[in-house]
Amino acid sequence: MTATLSSPGRPGTTSLDRRAIAGAAAGGLAFGLLMLAPALLSTYFVEIGFKLLLYIVLAEAWNLLAGYGGLVSLGTSSFFGLGAYVTAGLLNQSGMGLPLALGVSALAGMTIALFMSRGLFRLRGLYFTVGTLALAEALRLLVVNVPWFGGASGLFVTVDLPDTPELFRFAAGLLALATAVMTLATGSRFSVLLRAVRDDEDAASQVGVRAFRIKLAAFLAASALVAMAGGLQAAKLGAIEPYGSFGMQWSIDPLAIVIIGGLGMRLGAVIGGAFFVAIGELLADYPELHVAITGVVLILLIRFAPRGLCGLAQALIKRRSAPGATREAGA
Amino acid sequence: MSDIGSRPALLDAAGLGKRYGGIVANDGIDIRLDQGQALGVIGPNGAGKSTLVGLLGGAIAPSEGTIRFEGQDITTWPACERARRGIGRTYQIPRPFLDMTVAENLAVGQFSISPFISAGSAQAERRQILERCGLRDAAEMKAKDLPLLRRKRLELARALALKPKLLLLDEVGAGLIDSEVTELIALIRSLQDGTRAIIIIEHVIRIVKECCADLMVINFGKVLTKGRTADVLASDEVGAVYLGTSHGRAGRPPQAATPAAAPKAPTPTTPLLTLERVSAGYGQARVLHDLSLSAIPGQVVGILGTNGAGKTTLAHVISRALPVTAGKIRFDGDDITDWPAHAVAARGIAHCMEGRRIFASLSVEENLLVAARDVGAADRKRRLERVYGLFPILAERRNAGGTSMSGGQQQALAIGRALMAKPRLVIFDEISLGLAPVMMDRLYEALAALKREGLTMLVVEQDVERALDIADIAHIINKGRITLSGPAATVRNDERLRHLYFGTEE
Amino acid sequence: MANPDVILNALISGVLLGGMLALTALGLSIILGVMRLVNLAHGEFLVAGAYAGLFLLQWTGLDPLAGLALIGLVLASIAYPIHRLLLAPLADKGPEASMMTTFGLSIILQNLFVLLFSADTRAIERGYATVPLEIGPLSVPQIYVIGFAISVTLITAVHLLITRSRFGSDLRASADQPQAAAIIGINVRRVHALTFCLGAACAGIGGTLIGVALSFTPTSGAAYLLTDFAVIVLGGLGNVFGTLVGGLVLGVLQSVGGLALGDGYRDLVALVLFLAVLSLRPQGVLGSRT
Repeated sequence: MTATLSSPGRPGTTSLDRRAIAGAAAGGLAFGLLMLAPALLSTYFVEIGFKLLLYIVLAEAWNLLAGYGGLVSLGTSSFFGLGAYVTAGLLNQSGMGLPLALGVSALAGMTIALFMSRGLFRLRGLYFTVGTLALAEALRLLVVNVPWFGGASGLFVTVDLPDTPELFRFAAGLLALATAVMTLATGSRFSVLLRAVRDDEDAASQVGVRAFRIKLAAFLAASALVAMAGGLQAAKLGAIEPYGSFGMQWSIDPLAIVIIGGLGMRLGAVIGGAFFVAIGELLADYPELHVAITGVVLILLIRFAPRGLCGLAQALIKRRSAPGATREAGA
Repeated sequence: MSDIGSRPALLDAAGLGKRYGGIVANDGIDIRLDQGQALGVIGPNGAGKSTLVGLLGGAIAPSEGTIRFEGQDITTWPACERARRGIGRTYQIPRPFLDMTVAENLAVGQFSISPFISAGSAQAERRQILERCGLRDAAEMKAKDLPLLRRKRLELARALALKPKLLLLDEVGAGLIDSEVTELIALIRSLQDGTRAIIIIEHVIRIVKECCADLMVINFGKVLTKGRTADVLASDEVGAVYLGTSHGRAGRPPQAATPAAAPKAPTPTTPLLTLERVSAGYGQARVLHDLSLSAIPGQVVGILGTNGAGKTTLAHVISRALPVTAGKIRFDGDDITDWPAHAVAARGIAHCMEGRRIFASLSVEENLLVAARDVGAADRKRRLERVYGLFPILAERRNAGGTSMSGGQQQALAIGRALMAKPRLVIFDEISLGLAPVMMDRLYEALAALKREGLTMLVVEQDVERALDIADIAHIINKGRITLSGPAATVRNDERLRHLYFGTEE
Repeated sequence: MANPDVILNALISGVLLGGMLALTALGLSIILGVMRLVNLAHGEFLVAGAYAGLFLLQWTGLDPLAGLALIGLVLASIAYPIHRLLLAPLADKGPEASMMTTFGLSIILQNLFVLLFSADTRAIERGYATVPLEIGPLSVPQIYVIGFAISVTLITAVHLLITRSRFGSDLRASADQPQAAAIIGINVRRVHALTFCLGAACAGIGGTLIGVALSFTPTSGAAYLLTDFAVIVLGGLGNVFGTLVGGLVLGVLQSVGGLALGDGYRDLVALVLFLAVLSLRPQGVLGSRT
């Protein structure tokens, strides 16, 4: 996480380059495997896999905002629902293909994010969280009440849609995009500025950081990713309706995944997503119980492992590899 | 004070004012500063000095006046734009990016003003700045693991990473011992390259004296006087307002010394308070190491040391506001090491905290009454009358809001509040901090009266003379350890005290 | 558009419902003001109060209005262990940990309600909920008037508790400077626990009143959480009578909004107002001091 500055005294560049190449190779390999996966897996696992990929994308976006930017959002569902509605609308009305519709959804997500940012970013800390919650609820109520988008009952997508293996590949592509965005945003100079804003926004602006723009950049990126995920979900269901597409669960789940996996941890979304989807499958027949148990897990992790499963693993590895050796801060 | 050249001044602030509701923090302040100039700003605490830094740096929007920088009107610019334009500032209370390394803290400024600076030169710059500020070994440490004094260095280093044309230093010298002040002066001088302008807000007169050609004195938010540093410092007016008794060396009223001199010769009884090998700290940073001390009933114990030595931490540990990591604390026979703060208070330890900590939403009288716990109405009234007897001004202002009074009155309230619990031991932490000398005298007279009544006290002070005047015994704390203890008179004449404060050692 | 009587009735209903809203919002407000805790389970406390009123009536036949004190106690006794076991241990871990814990709590409670009581829409059915009180052209359900009176009485009581009692000064001291409060002998954790109980009781009692006046479902909580936030933002944090004013204003605006745009827009009006005020004046309209 702190690899953005090569430490003095160590010839930084070569090891950094090597790490970047290794990372890119591993990422490419994983992506290749994902693209092949639908052909190899049973229908059930393709279904699960699609869900998992979608959740990881949402969680990555949420982690970018909350973990790296300190912007704890409860408004993921606003952008998810927006993406779903825009994608479905475009597919029905314009004859656009799915990739293009998703792209436009991303733009729509960014537009709303840009529009809302003025108000939302005036709110700091907990108030930002409450503000995003209000935004999500307001959008949902709006869509329920105005008659244009099928009102409370929603709409069906009337054109032919790609089958699940194809959508799985779309989701894999979206995850690749999310990974690229996250790598750029968390491993670059931008991440230094973003974390500075997270730690102390006023102090950051005193050293020249345009905090608003930095937060906005993260917010735009996250909103675009979430909107595209929403679009894919609409394509998967072949329908949109306000209670589902704008449902609170789309705000809750990414948050739960990241807290389970590890807030501000690069692998948090993936680990948390796998855990979350697994629990969800085990309790598939008891959706309420699933959510309630998620709540219990959340509370337990916040209390006993605030850095999630990744943080736990890290602490374990550290203890293994360096028994007794404590890297204390000397005076 | 500055020659008006053909070029516009680097900084030209005219009629700057800031009001918070009815309170005027700054009023009609004019500053004109050319390239390469250094201006010192002094004034008592609460005079509005930090507000001025906020106004110039952009953290606070002025209620009136204009600020021009390099000829351009920047009055409405936000802080980030001013920083990019070349105004760097430090915070009086350091605000580093806690979860980032020291090197990253510097990189924030670098990357924000020049996003495409090459990694190599950025790193070289950082290394040079860290070297200069004495933080080289800490480059990879998380800022949250730095102790307070190193955080102050980081404040300066972070501002320097901006390569500012105008540097605003807000009390960077506070809490430094003399040898460190010497280092700091050398550092500031090395920053005066002929083009960079610096505004230094300071309590440590030596720094402004040696670094600034011009000096401005602020009091009650207004410019009291300004001019060449030497002239200003020599003026009687300034002496009266500000320098009255700066460090107890000059012109102290002699009567303050008399009560302490009377030896009580208490028969050595069992100590009321004992600390046995106590260690404590914040997070990673360990502040107190293996510290032991005791106080017998009726004794006044002075705890001395420079800022950052661990005095306030010690005070917090005794009142249980901060847990210990090792050691034992006993009070009147009980092991209170793991007691919660409120139980310790109920047992008879009161703590008059640094910074007063008055409850803003309680009136003066409520602030007092809230501390008299679990006693009958008659007792509460008696205690209230006693405090009002000690500080009549509190009786006058009894219905005022707790924080609506002046600093000195608030300090009196804080002392009174500590007494309302009818404590058997009171810790007074830096009660003289930032007060006018007259007010300090008054508070210490009250303490002397309490001493005559036989109250056991722990007096934590940075002002050595004041503490030694009232204390029976004194402990000098340095870097979290007691380095010197003994009867006040002996400590006063000990060479090691002078070493510590005047920097002949290390 | 509508005739003047309808408008007048809507305004009066708005004021009366707003008083009840203010009571529930007070629960959210004191917890936020004293503990610096955004209690995201607030809406579920409110719904819990409504269920408590419902089952009290169904099982014992006790009228919910007669059982309000009991309901307050029930909520407080639920809140106490929640604070003790879940929130107090997080006291020094930053505000987000506590907020997230209440969020976890919120989704647990919401889904427990569904599991235990089904997702059906419920209403506490009493005569006074449907029989209108008619004065000239005015016609509002009796419960609106009763609920308003009870709410304003309780809000005044809480105000007196905070400004006049010893617990009140402990509470204000703990809100201002928790560390200094502890050092002068206030058991801040106990003050927080009692504040949390008091907040939950306000939410619960308000929830019962609303449960009689309107209907509710296991998931109604989220909407009330946000509405109550809107009330606080309008009235200013930590200001008891500001909360009352905020509640009345919001109640009227909701009624007017519902009348002008359709009933579905009631909550939307609150949210839009909330977002607007929050982004224009984060510290609220009436300022923030008591």
